[in-house]
Amino acid sequence: MEDGQDGGCSLPRPSSRISRRLLVRLVCIIVAVLCLLPIGDKDILLAFVPALSPFVAVASILVTKTVPLILILGFVTGLAALFRHRWFCHWVCPMGLCLDGASYLGRRLKRRPCQAMSINQWLLALTLAGAIVGYPLFLWCDPLALFSGIFLLGERHQMLAGAVSFLVVMLLLILSVLLPHVWCRGLCPLGAFQDLLARVPRSIRSILKPTSSLPSRERAGHPVARRTLLGLLIGAASSGILRLAGRDASRPLRPPGAVDEFNFKGLCTRCGNCVRSCPYGIIDRKTGQQDITGFMTPVLSFKEDYCREDCVRCTKVCPSGALAGLDLSNKPQIRIGLAQVDMNICLLGEDRECSACMRWCPYNAIRYVFSEAEYTLVPVIDADKCNGCGACEVACPTIPHKAIRVFAQPDIV
Amino acid sequence: MKHKITRREYLRIMGISGIGISAGSLISDRLLAQDIGESGFQSSVIATNKVQDAQSSAVLINGEVIQPRRRLSLLSETDVLVVGGGPAGIAAAIAARRAGAKVTIVERYGHFGGLWSGGLVLLIIGHIAKGPKQVCQGIGEEMMRRLEKMDGAIINRSHGSNPTVDAEAVKYLMVEMIEEAGVEVFLHCWGVDAVRQDNSLRGVVFESKSGRQAILAKVVVDATGDGDIFAAAGARFEHRSHNIGLVSRIGNLDRVDKTKTSDTEKPRRLGSATPVPGVNWVNLTGPEVDGLDLATLTRMELNHRKYIWTKMQKVRSVPGYENVYLVETAPQLGVRITRILDGLNRVTVDDIKKATRHPDVVGVGGAAHFEHGEWQIPYGALVPKTVDNVLAAGRCIDCDVRMADLVRLIPNCFVTGHAAGVAAAVAVRDRCTPRQADVTEIQKILRQQKAYLG
Repeated sequence: MEDGQDGGCSLPRPSSRISRRLLVRLVCIIVAVLCLLPIGDKDILLAFVPALSPFVAVASILVTKTVPLILILGFVTGLAALFRHRWFCHWVCPMGLCLDGASYLGRRLKRRPCQAMSINQWLLALTLAGAIVGYPLFLWCDPLALFSGIFLLGERHQMLAGAVSFLVVMLLLILSVLLPHVWCRGLCPLGAFQDLLARVPRSIRSILKPTSSLPSRERAGHPVARRTLLGLLIGAASSGILRLAGRDASRPLRPPGAVDEFNFKGLCTRCGNCVRSCPYGIIDRKTGQQDITGFMTPVLSFKEDYCREDCVRCTKVCPSGALAGLDLSNKPQIRIGLAQVDMNICLLGEDRECSACMRWCPYNAIRYVFSEAEYTLVPVIDADKCNGCGACEVACPTIPHKAIRVFAQPDIV
Repeated sequence: MKHKITRREYLRIMGISGIGISAGSLISDRLLAQDIGESGFQSSVIATNKVQDAQSSAVLINGEVIQPRRRLSLLSETDVLVVGGGPAGIAAAIAARRAGAKVTIVERYGHFGGLWSGGLVLLIIGHIAKGPKQVCQGIGEEMMRRLEKMDGAIINRSHGSNPTVDAEAVKYLMVEMIEEAGVEVFLHCWGVDAVRQDNSLRGVVFESKSGRQAILAKVVVDATGDGDIFAAAGARFEHRSHNIGLVSRIGNLDRVDKTKTSDTEKPRRLGSATPVPGVNWVNLTGPEVDGLDLATLTRMELNHRKYIWTKMQKVRSVPGYENVYLVETAPQLGVRITRILDGLNRVTVDDIKKATRHPDVVGVGGAAHFEHGEWQIPYGALVPKTVDNVLAAGRCIDCDVRMADLVRLIPNCFVTGHAAGVAAAVAVRDRCTPRQADVTEIQKILRQQKAYLG
């Protein structure tokens, strides 16, 4: 609504400004939902929402030490945050809009709104310090990642993972009703990051022009600095301990382009983009196993299809670089895992005619060698050519267990 | 010697005495024959002792063995000559005959069926695609239906399962079907050379106990499995090595006392059941070697025979298995792939992956263990690039390395044999080369003969 149309009043009406903002936020959430819904053949569009977060972008750079193109979105958001405090929270964040709705309900129910808390700063410090050591501890608390994660409710084979994502968001909504604005003011690490970014120009100004600094801010600065330092130390230490603890753990099959397993488990924001982007449905989110550090991270399952030699979609949509961008030309060189044959199950071990695995291997990594000792053929896998795509596993006709399967390689130190 | 005989006189003497001796032996032989016949003796003496083409034997000149040039007698003259009486050859011969051509089939062993019967490859796989959907119809399916009606000929014939046959039943059935069709037959006859005229095949040279003879034909179907004929005709091909095995049958498996050994000590790899109770057929993959090398073929026979016998002795030494015995080793060595035609088109793995639809499809193949979809076979894979009047059928059609293990399976040989037979008949009828034959006509007749073309 424009000024002047209501009959000459020149002051901007508060309600019109609020409703204009509401309109923009509604448009943003609709756009986000359209980007994230697993319909149609979206590619890079999927990455749009979770990649907006500068929190994820910074953690990504700290862990991978690389700056892929997808981080530009986060950079732009972060840059604007230097000049407009929490502009993202006020105008764009879809999670914020949902939680503001719940908070509004809470306020109507006469619940006392949350005052500023420092948990968000702790989460930020722990995560960024952990990122430096290799495991960004609470990167999954990014609001955009949490929001994106719920768009997998109807995930193939994986009702449990979808339920987990949904429950987390439900929990936050309920919390926001009981304690309005608790997330945005007190818990959200992206919010804390924006607070941090907003202080940068002021700090620069105070360094350049010491006389104009406000005394109250300086006094308040010391506890903040101490808290921050403590958070950083604890974050780094925790991350280090986790690395040592998880050294000999067996690793699952990760999507192609996955970074080192330890980094992966922290860097993955559980946004679900890779699962959505896979045209062959071979990516699932891991809910089983005891390893909590890898809870809800994507793993490959070759039950019905394999990691096709002409596809690198999942690597193009990962907002944090946990799956490093690949080209089709270097896909044969990456190592998802290595195929191995169990001759107790293999049909060739029973003198039966079969050449399914050799036929379907896209990289010509399998050949059959006659064993004089066993007096039958044995499939031999060329480790230089096998990238663990799983085509052989899908092709193998043995039931109930496959004679040839892909196993994850131990990390090369 | 005072008086020198002139050459003319010498020849005259030899000629007369030769005639005299022949006549004399003829008369005396007949007398002899009558004598023995009257006394009731079983065998008789043939009325001539002349060896055919006696003057054309090989000679040694300067340490080299030279075969002199000579005229060969004609064994037969036909429209469609099918060389090879295995699954592909039988299907081709029957198909061509039903399509109206005069057909002759020649087989080097004493029976039909090739590796199916002689090689004891009794399990039929490759005719069922993922579904399950049986894609081998036509003459191959007809044979299986007829086997069902024969006593003890086939087991496990149900939708979506791979059946097993009895070799003797197969041999008998093929005789019945070939004779019904009215195809001229020569067994114990080995196709050894091509009769060429420029880039065209005019017939095939055969070697048998009756000597070296030729059969002239308008179109030849090479169902030898090794592409012997198209190779002799000068067609381009790929020479591959592949595993050579030897199948065997073991018996008295129904007289095994299983209680005498624990599960871990029971002998493994005893093959799978056949229609004969207690008898299993046992496959053997074997090393990857050259199936066209005589020394290799010999070595494979010797090694496999030793392995099979030794293995059987080990089985018999297990408590409870004393009665198990080796029924036979296959009379035909298990050669799988040797020559592959360089044809106008090639069957590739993409045909499965992309479910390619060929406009000149003449057959559809299946999977060994129902694990993937059907794949179409283009007519071009049967036609040599540069030589006319010969078609490949069976395992030697043009296919890439990964498809060879599917193309060579018995039902897929029925399918390509069926297609080659019809194509040959169409080429004869339309007085053109197989390369020029109208593919839509071939497809129409194939469908009339109940083939499945996708």
